[in-house]
Amino acid sequence: MTALEAAAALRARKVSSVELTVQCLAQIEKLNPTLNAFITVTATTALAEARKADEELSRGQDRGPLHGIPVAHKDLLCTNGVRTTSGSKVFSSYIPNFDAAVVERWREAGAVMLGKTGLHEHAYGITSTNPHFGAIRNPWNPECIPGGSSGGSAVAVATGMALLATGSDTGGSIRVPASYCGIAGIKATFGRVSKFGALPLGFTLDHMGPLGRTVRDVAVALQAMAGFDRRDSTSVNRPVPDYLPPEGEISLKGVKIGMPVNFFYEKLDPQVDNAVHFMAYTAQDLGAELVDVRVPDGRQLNTVAQVTLLAEAASVHEPYIRKQRSSYGDDVRTLIDMGRVLPATDYLQAQRLRKRMLGVYQNILKSVDCLLVPSTAIFAPKIGQTEVEIAGSMEDTRLASTKLVRGFNALGLPVVALPAGFSNAGLPVGCQLVGRAWAERALLRIAAALEDRAPHYKRAWQG
Amino acid sequence: MSISLGPDWKTLAAAQKLELPDQSIARLEELGKTMLGLRGMIDWTEEPAQVFQVLEVNEGDAE
Repeated sequence: MTALEAAAALRARKVSSVELTVQCLAQIEKLNPTLNAFITVTATTALAEARKADEELSRGQDRGPLHGIPVAHKDLLCTNGVRTTSGSKVFSSYIPNFDAAVVERWREAGAVMLGKTGLHEHAYGITSTNPHFGAIRNPWNPECIPGGSSGGSAVAVATGMALLATGSDTGGSIRVPASYCGIAGIKATFGRVSKFGALPLGFTLDHMGPLGRTVRDVAVALQAMAGFDRRDSTSVNRPVPDYLPPEGEISLKGVKIGMPVNFFYEKLDPQVDNAVHFMAYTAQDLGAELVDVRVPDGRQLNTVAQVTLLAEAASVHEPYIRKQRSSYGDDVRTLIDMGRVLPATDYLQAQRLRKRMLGVYQNILKSVDCLLVPSTAIFAPKIGQTEVEIAGSMEDTRLASTKLVRGFNALGLPVVALPAGFSNAGLPVGCQLVGRAWAERALLRIAAALEDRAPHYKRAWQG
Repeated sequence: MSISLGPDWKTLAAAQKLELPDQSIARLEELGKTMLGLRGMIDWTEEPAQVFQVLEVNEGDAE
């Protein structure tokens, strides 16, 4: 069941919020011992919140589509009175006395919090193989990673343990797990969603956003979290439009979709290539025009993003790693150490360069409405797998997972991730639609049109 | 014989009493070389990063 289907059933009195919550809790009880999506389950308060939602709805008090919907929050978002670990030993006993902005907004929208989902330690990685809380497993093949860092959130949504979940995306951490778990997600324009109360990683790269089974679920979930927040200095005060795409077939006549002729379709698994091209031809069937575009070198943009992240994450973790070095897992500690030796000038040059590169991308996006590219070059790799063969050569699995997503964090542009199909072995693959700054509404409309015509989400995970 | 254009990362790390694995040193070399190559794209007349600003203090924020 999608979140919007559940919302309709709630209003038709076909189901109650308590029943939805009990169903999700039963899924968690059944699946979490194997898949390890949740770090903390707040069953008692969830049921109390669900009862309150039912009472409000029965009184005619309707807070909108998230009212009474069971959701999960990534465990780097502060939750009042509920432990927030960031998937780390450093924060293993941290209990905040306030809610992060996105938690607060979803709470105000009537969402029912089921608990906190697991992640790559400190959100600094894409495997979600966590040294402190164990590996999170991909429901489509538990030997594989779910992607990360929002791995627990993606697994929870893909398996019906939650109907929606929050995530954060600093170098692909919403889009990679969405791709590997066969669900949708959005990283909106930098400044659109408040970061207040999210434990930071890269303060100019971090984006909060939702994960859901469908594009429309993600649209209403974004609606409920977007908007200005003076507590976040990077938050932008712009009106929030109605994101929900219309029902019924959406024509893409007049829409120009950019298909990069360089970088994004080079060195891909052929099945990924086929699946994403199928989505492009679907767009063409719906009336869109496919336009060849040449983009700036993706490796250079990724370098700028990585230099920025290495420096910012090292700065964020400076006070903790000095005192609690042994509390960090090997991979995260090494990345922080790399950031500590990086020259300050490299960081500053990276900030100059990202501005230049944003200008180039903005020019490209004047001639097309969006870009359509794969989210990941491969399907979910096995847990512990360090290399993968692509087109006859070996590539680092982390690079193959992040090379197509990372750059858009440095640019701050909005990106919708949605399922594009499945491999022969039954593993999901995802694609991304990259749009103009603040054009989330248009982007979600195009994504919904594609999803309506190619509803891969209907091949739901069966357990 | 390869000539390194960037800093000696091992020495830089050692100066901070850090020991980086070879793979990380190689990655830093790669990043450093790319950054060097990208200098041609920089507009040197621009501010390098966000300009420091002193914002007005809202009532109630001041201590």
